[in-house]
Amino acid sequence: MECNGCEFRHELYYDAEYQIWVRVEEGGELAVGMTDISQSIAGKILHVRVRRPGTLRPAGKPVATIESGKWAGPVPNLFDCTIAGANTTVLEYPSLLNRQPYESWIARVRPAQSVEQALQVLVTGDAAWAGYQERCRKDGITCKRLTA
Amino acid sequence: MSDERHYLDNEEKTVVIVMTSGPSQRHRCATPFYMAAIMASMDAQVKVFFTMEGVRLCQKGVPEQLTAMDGGKTIIEFMRDAKAAGAKFYMCRPAMPGYEIEVDEVIAEVDELSSGGELADLILSSDKALFF
Repeated sequence: MECNGCEFRHELYYDAEYQIWVRVEEGGELAVGMTDISQSIAGKILHVRVRRPGTLRPAGKPVATIESGKWAGPVPNLFDCTIAGANTTVLEYPSLLNRQPYESWIARVRPAQSVEQALQVLVTGDAAWAGYQERCRKDGITCKRLTA
Repeated sequence: MSDERHYLDNEEKTVVIVMTSGPSQRHRCATPFYMAAIMASMDAQVKVFFTMEGVRLCQKGVPEQLTAMDGGKTIIEFMRDAKAAGAKFYMCRPAMPGYEIEVDEVIAEVDELSSGGELADLILSSDKALFF
């Protein structure tokens, strides 16, 4: 599924601005990554820095920072959690986020409460698809994937 | 674990960025907001205080048209990135008459109109003060 070329994955969970996706992993962890919308806005990503594993992150405090040549900003966090790990491949090759945004998770986190409670603050499925399309159209966002 | 430079473990800090540059030095008008966005993303409480010619960046119609380099992203986009990351914007009210800026011309991104004394307080109470 896509809108203005920006890919959407129906099975993932998203924040209300569709900046990040969240995927349920084994062992009570959640993987966090950037959406196709976010990587398109950022442009070619040059640096990713993740909070050190083991760090407690309250809701509202980012799990990572992203820098491109023209954009800098946080990877937001919507629930209390602990950083469980970072994707070292993405840290070494940040432009993977521009090529395969849904295969390239950035951090894994362990929610302070249950996974189910953490997911309650996110959107998924048909509601997320509707919101995703609205964001693309409202802000005139078109996909800018790196292919080379 | 890979290269240590990829990991963040800085403590929370307060930073004030004093923005004095304006349209006459457009090449100095993007990076401060880029830095503000990065530092805010790193848990810093970032306050950008516009004074001197910097207040022109808070005047409707100016940052929307201004770029640091030809063909580049507009300054208002850099400012909005910093705001989205959590930075707060303060505008020096005493500087406004000198640039003939009225209150109703101030862009919505400005959080407060402040005095010179409030800037002094910010500088004295912040962990870091940067001047651009």
